[in-house]
Amino acid sequence: MSPMAHDRQGAPPAGEPAPEAIPEQSPAADAGPEREAAPRQAHGAARTGMWRLLLRDRVATLAACTLLLVALTALLGPLLVGDLATKQNLDAVNTAPFQSDEGWAYILGSDSLGRSMLARLAVATRTTVSVAVPAVLVSLLIGSVWGMWAGYHRGWRETLSMRTADVILSFPSLLLAVVVLYVFSPSAANIVAILAIARIPIYLRTARAESAELQSRLFVDAARTFGTRSGAVIRRHVLPTVLPTLLTVATADFCFVMLSESSLSFLGIGIQPPDISWGLMTAQGRQYLQTSWWMSIFPGLAIVITTVSASVLAAWFRIATDPAQRWRLSLPRRQRRSVRRAGQEVAR
Amino acid sequence: MSQPSQSRATRRNRMIGRFRVARRRTAVAALAAGFAVLVSSCTVANSDSLGGSGSGLRIVLPEEPPTLEPCESSLTSTGVVVRSNITQPLIERDPKSGDLSPLLSTGWKRTSDTRWTFTMREGVRFQDGTAFNARDAAYSIERAVNSDLGCNVDGYVFGEDPLDVEAVDERTLTVESKEPDPILPLRLSFVEIVPTSTGTAKKVRQPVGTGPYEIGRWDTGLKLRLDRNKRYWGKAPSYENVTYQWRAEGTVRAAMVTSDEADVALKLGPLDGAGDRGVNHPNNETTALRLTGEEPPLDDPRVRQAVNYALDKRGIVKSLFSGLGKPAGQLVPSGVLGHNPSIKPWPHDLKKARALVKAAKADGVPTGKQILMVGRHELFPRVSETAEVLQEQLTQAGLNIKLKMVDESAHLEYQLRPFVPDAGPVALLIQHGNQAGDAAFTVDQYMTSKGAQSVMGTKGFDKVIEEAGRKSGKQRQKAYEELLKQQNGDITQFAHIAHMRGVVALSPNVSYRPNSATNDELRLADIRPAG
Amino acid sequence: MITFLRRRTLSSVIPLAVVVLGVFCLARLTGNPASLYLPLNATEQMRQDFAERNGLDQPVLSQMADYLGGVLRLDFGESLRTGQSAGRMALDAFPATLQLAGFTMLIAVLGAAVVGSWAAFKPNGLADRVCSTMSMIAASVPDFWFAIVGIWIFAVTLGWLPTSGVTGHGIWILPIATLVVRPFGVLVQVVRGAMVSALSSPYVKLARSKGADDYRIVTHHALRNAAAPALTVAGDLTVGLVNGAVVVETIFGWPGIGKLMIDSILQRDFAVLQAAVLVTAVAIFVLNILIDVCYALLDARVRQAAKT
Repeated sequence: MSPMAHDRQGAPPAGEPAPEAIPEQSPAADAGPEREAAPRQAHGAARTGMWRLLLRDRVATLAACTLLLVALTALLGPLLVGDLATKQNLDAVNTAPFQSDEGWAYILGSDSLGRSMLARLAVATRTTVSVAVPAVLVSLLIGSVWGMWAGYHRGWRETLSMRTADVILSFPSLLLAVVVLYVFSPSAANIVAILAIARIPIYLRTARAESAELQSRLFVDAARTFGTRSGAVIRRHVLPTVLPTLLTVATADFCFVMLSESSLSFLGIGIQPPDISWGLMTAQGRQYLQTSWWMSIFPGLAIVITTVSASVLAAWFRIATDPAQRWRLSLPRRQRRSVRRAGQEVAR
Repeated sequence: MSQPSQSRATRRNRMIGRFRVARRRTAVAALAAGFAVLVSSCTVANSDSLGGSGSGLRIVLPEEPPTLEPCESSLTSTGVVVRSNITQPLIERDPKSGDLSPLLSTGWKRTSDTRWTFTMREGVRFQDGTAFNARDAAYSIERAVNSDLGCNVDGYVFGEDPLDVEAVDERTLTVESKEPDPILPLRLSFVEIVPTSTGTAKKVRQPVGTGPYEIGRWDTGLKLRLDRNKRYWGKAPSYENVTYQWRAEGTVRAAMVTSDEADVALKLGPLDGAGDRGVNHPNNETTALRLTGEEPPLDDPRVRQAVNYALDKRGIVKSLFSGLGKPAGQLVPSGVLGHNPSIKPWPHDLKKARALVKAAKADGVPTGKQILMVGRHELFPRVSETAEVLQEQLTQAGLNIKLKMVDESAHLEYQLRPFVPDAGPVALLIQHGNQAGDAAFTVDQYMTSKGAQSVMGTKGFDKVIEEAGRKSGKQRQKAYEELLKQQNGDITQFAHIAHMRGVVALSPNVSYRPNSATNDELRLADIRPAG
Repeated sequence: MITFLRRRTLSSVIPLAVVVLGVFCLARLTGNPASLYLPLNATEQMRQDFAERNGLDQPVLSQMADYLGGVLRLDFGESLRTGQSAGRMALDAFPATLQLAGFTMLIAVLGAAVVGSWAAFKPNGLADRVCSTMSMIAASVPDFWFAIVGIWIFAVTLGWLPTSGVTGHGIWILPIATLVVRPFGVLVQVVRGAMVSALSSPYVKLARSKGADDYRIVTHHALRNAAAPALTVAGDLTVGLVNGAVVVETIFGWPGIGKLMIDSILQRDFAVLQAAVLVTAVAIFVLNILIDVCYALLDARVRQAAKT
């Protein structure tokens, strides 16, 4: 058999260090068993440590706060704004934002039917979050479990899984969207299903690649020799190692899912009015770009800010969970810079 | 290169040896092949140049014509290119006055109750060089109306009964209908004439006709060019050639005119950004809610009246259609034979609407039952917002409305017989365009109890409609006026919204006045260079 | 190599069939196309004739058998909408999408390699912060929005570029610029991440200590290692483009496969949809194999395996 029958198994996922860069034991790989062995108390201490680390990084803190705000808005927003989001006022359409005389509800202006943009954004937050988060979680869960299973066992299970991934990847998700829209009903849950199915292969492939590579590692081999059942090996040894990577992919996907939802709305086959999501608001507002820019800029900004925050936090999380890099975060800002400079000097 | 990596690399080279070289070669070959495909395919979008824009006219449509088959020309996307440009009918209707004028037929006469006789124009040749005579006309009518092709013109313009068509001699054609039909010439103005060499087994994509332009080159997906027909029997049109392109987004179509990439852009919305290049025109379209009359609560006339009172037509036209339109009280706009100028739109009276709903409720009508309001994307500009406004206004009247936006195919299932089974009470958002200029085309479809798009009607009303259809002249006008009034009062199948107006963007280089038929048949001969 | 290609090709046949049959069945769930294609007042008889003519009156299984038989003879049926051969339409549309995707990825990969390396060279430096933030924003802007704003600014207001059109090279700029934004944003982040790791790896430090200059370190040592993850992600992004440049094709009137697909879905033109899906699926499978080949060439672990 030629070496290439390996079928991209080694493909490291986004952002992972290149294979050659890491000699035999990667610090992340060792973190798994180590963490497992740590006593419970240390666990708790590590958690408070994480908080402290987070607070020390201003940008990451800001990102975390933004996401918290989004989550709170999704939870409470619709309750707070009441029926403001649907109350039409055809006499006050397209009022510009940041004009105080209209009252706080119209601080972000009003839309083409005179509804408060602020209230609509708040309600849309819930729809968007309740589409994006479940879609990402479902595909993450299914894809990664399946991928680890396939990569751990290799053989026909792996081939079957990879070809299934190919099938899903080359399947037109637009058709799925139309089917769901007209055969079932255009609800958020159905959009979640479409997006989740379409994204499963991404996690499947990543998880499989990682776990196929781990499967041949010494500590996994040892566990197996001692008679640990495969499920337990995957849970205890493979999962902790693969998880940071999968989470990074998931944050990137969070953004992708929101954009896909928006594109579906553009094509008229996504969330349907009178329901409202950021994507739909951006898509509907596009016809007013030249006259009332705020109608698509604000929801667009909401998408951008949320995804950027998620990416920032994910990047921070990766560093924070990587024992080899964590020291970067635990230093005060000024010192960090000088350490880096010193490091470079030494290197030269 | 620094040493460690170098030594590692050389070691590996040695280890893998020949195998690796082979692999690399294959990969390079694959990449090269891929790139070659890429480069060679570049020619697709740049296949040939337009030539000087001085001699050509550039038009941008919302969608590519699926086919140029003349018997499908009642489909807007086909008709707008084909009708009166590539092929021509026997008789042409002036969209402004509604009068019929001779085209391939120079004169026509009603020779009996059911029979019409037409005289053919002499000296006309098809674009392929063959001479036109009555046989071609007879063949074209047979092909469009009586054949198994399933032509759209057939369903739109003609009823179920076949026509008896005969070419008496080279210049004389008789057409006989089963029932007396005073507007047969008008109906025939929708049949485009093709030579007898056109097949009946299959629809043709690129027809031959007698029109001022012939098909030059059609790069499917990209553009369509028509060239001036050198054999044209009439006055030569102003432009040597006409290029059609299509862009789905209204803003993009408008932008193409403002940035001088196109001379004419059709079917724009008021907010698409055409600016002072935009010209608005009546488009003979009327928007309305069509109400099913069999299911409660819509089976109660009071509820249907309440729907009419609850809609703020003036407000919708003002804020959603940017003032482009007129509140409507009937399905046919002025300019169409049968339009009743004395019908005023239902007044906007929320109190009355509420009272009617309340009264119905008191009589045991389940007014809280959910009514499905079905709208379709791209029915007209800002349709989904309009639907939301309608939903809101009906909700205020005390009704329970669920809005559902669907695509064209799903919308048609609600619009046409056989209707969606078990749909419950439905308020369907429709836009009806009467291209023909006679109320019969509206009424037969929308108001008879068996009409293809009608969900309500009575035997008695069917009879009234049938009688009106037999009349002609002033009597016809009067009969349809009465009938439209009766529909509003006795049946109330519709809650009318507005007679719409469309927007066309025109470059300063062209002179053209859009009319009510512009979106259905854009007569290229009417477009001239400005100045 | 040859064995590998043969194996991959053979093992792709069944998934391809699954895709095509899946599309076949799902498409038939979206409703009967008769109302779209028949006259408004079509009689029941006309509807039956229509169904008969297009084989829609048969049970789905026998329709499927007919269809598969046709596919084996390379006959994909006829478009309901245009009456043309469905296979022809799909093959005509595909190159337009391929060239769009090809140039987009070429630009995105080259651009990301430069910008990503530059950013990674001094982690947390000014360049890094600017690049990272910009790339994150770029990756999260809806494409239709970018396209419409682009047309408005560059074509309408400034008049520098054509909005869209049929001639000249200017027409490439806006569609490609629109498409490139997201892949570029994603790839910059990937390259940067991989480069940061590579630059801090022991052997780069060693190379530094031996006096290699910065440029050489980046191009000869680090970038090579960063190539593997970038390739994987770029592959996935290309698959996404081949499958769905729908929005951009719709806005710019680009006659590609994405536009053909959405049109045939909305018009219930099943034959065209199936042909278009088959063409893209084959392309995606080929692409995946190509990526595997490239990957194998890059991946040290696979090379290591070769010696055993």
